[in-house]
Amino acid sequence: MDLHTPGPDGESESGDRRSALGTDADAGAGTGADAEGSADDNDGRAVDTGRNGRLGSGRVGFDRVRRQFFRTVVLCTLVFFYGPILAVGYLSLAPNGQPSVPIEGVSLRWYVAVLTDARFVESALTSIGIGVVVAIGGTALGAMAAHVIVRGRLDRWVRGLIGLIVALPLFVPTVVLALGIGVFAGRVGLGFGLVPVLLGHLFWVLPFSTFLLTARYATLDAELSEAARDLGASNAEVARTVVIPLLAPALLASVLFCFALSFNEFLVTFFLAGSAITTMPLELFGQIRIGATTFLNAASVLVLVVSGALATLASRFEAPV
Amino acid sequence: MATDRRSGFERGRWWPSSPRVRDGLIAFLPVALATCLGVVPLAVMAYESVSPPITLANYAEALGGVYLPVLGRSLLIGVVATAACLLIAYPVTYWLAHVCPARYRLAALITLVLPLWLNYVVLNYAWVWILARGGVLNYLLVALGPLGEPLSLLYTHTSMLIGFLYIYLPYVLLTMYASMERLDYRLVEAARDLGAGDLRVFVDVVVPRTIAGALASALIVYARIAGAYATPEILGGPRNQMISRLIVSAFYEFADWGFASALSFVFLAVVFVGFCLGALSGSVRNELKRW
Repeated sequence: MDLHTPGPDGESESGDRRSALGTDADAGAGTGADAEGSADDNDGRAVDTGRNGRLGSGRVGFDRVRRQFFRTVVLCTLVFFYGPILAVGYLSLAPNGQPSVPIEGVSLRWYVAVLTDARFVESALTSIGIGVVVAIGGTALGAMAAHVIVRGRLDRWVRGLIGLIVALPLFVPTVVLALGIGVFAGRVGLGFGLVPVLLGHLFWVLPFSTFLLTARYATLDAELSEAARDLGASNAEVARTVVIPLLAPALLASVLFCFALSFNEFLVTFFLAGSAITTMPLELFGQIRIGATTFLNAASVLVLVVSGALATLASRFEAPV
Repeated sequence: MATDRRSGFERGRWWPSSPRVRDGLIAFLPVALATCLGVVPLAVMAYESVSPPITLANYAEALGGVYLPVLGRSLLIGVVATAACLLIAYPVTYWLAHVCPARYRLAALITLVLPLWLNYVVLNYAWVWILARGGVLNYLLVALGPLGEPLSLLYTHTSMLIGFLYIYLPYVLLTMYASMERLDYRLVEAARDLGAGDLRVFVDVVVPRTIAGALASALIVYARIAGAYATPEILGGPRNQMISRLIVSAFYEFADWGFASALSFVFLAVVFVGFCLGALSGSVRNELKRW
């Protein structure tokens, strides 16, 4: 049963498969090798379910089980990801401050309450302000680092070292870095508040913007810049007329991603904010520790909608991989 | 390539300063920022953890009987949650890279990694409403019949693990997808044509080709889970303390920066050992570099 009949049989078999599997396989039919793959796949965990297929009627049934397995896993993952978000959205519509399941009516009053709450609005504005500065600053710094890493005429090991230092936040646990910056800010006398938070966020987003831009920068044709230079453009002109326009989608995506990262950042802010400023994640975290309420649900929905919209927009300019 | 560019540049003699100096200047700002906020604070912490004047007392305390179990628990939870992430990520990324029709692939990928960009404080909070005694899951289980009375799921190890899976699975999906995409599907077909069963294809073709990517993403996520703060605070109970909680309270509540630093370094050392073990394998090292 496991033996796949090689050779001429393959053709008719995949035809069978398509008709047997209906719409999904049809959707995949146009995609060449991948469409072949679509019915023919497997994973260790498929084997358990696969046994049923072996008892069933031949290879078509077997493929269906396999396909069913993947479909189930992916569907479960999607429910796992988006179910809780939908649940919070549903519970944010409750009329009372402590929603019960199911909710006792539908009301938008808690959204109004959130948007007129002085503390929430102030923390949201703080987060947006920090986010804008960090998005632009982080992208600019990332572009500089990317330029040197990709096109720099420094020695290879120097460029490697630059990449490594910039990548530090990816490898060192955030709590350690955040504590380090907190201790450092305290010892140097920088204190806590807006400036340390801004610097901390810039540092935190730098690897993301750098590597996003490095990836795009590396695909640019170096000879375009050379050609512009040969035609007499200065370095500034090359940057302005050749490199930046070609990088524009990646730069825009980087701005949006950096904003989302900064807007959502919690732990670094937690160590650096002191008592002077409150960002939205800090404000929400403080309230969550007090207790779950409809107010928080409505605030959560607003935050998720804003960051989700930004990320979706950003991925239109540059795929996340 | 590099020599090409260098010679190409030397042609442009009209630029007065040396290209190395110019690149150095461009690199200065980002590198200075990363050094001042990454390298220097680590050095300050190292100093802090052994002062005043020179003592290992902080390390002795951090490695003492009270705190070691917390570190152990953090690492264990990190391992379990990471393994769960990989277990789910394997079929999902395989589906994404080799089963999903190409024209839906980007949309599916974006849908699956979108939670990366959402606020993780809020995402953790959402699970409070799912898992609470009066929450959605218990309501469904009781209303639909399988349970007589609601389960106490919230503020346990289980809720914490679910939270970690929720927050970190998208990272694993993203990194695993990159290596799953590079798996040549013709190899799977060839193995099948040669008579390999499902398990054999998975063990002999899929795993060897993707294990480096899986380990690299595991290393990255493992360190983050073991050092997470928000998830245990929101979804964990008082008995599920993790290392970050200790570090935060040493910093905030006791203002004992030396001890907080020592704890961090012990934790960092353990994570670092993991990275070194991973980096022993050249292919994992390459995967990590891709990040």
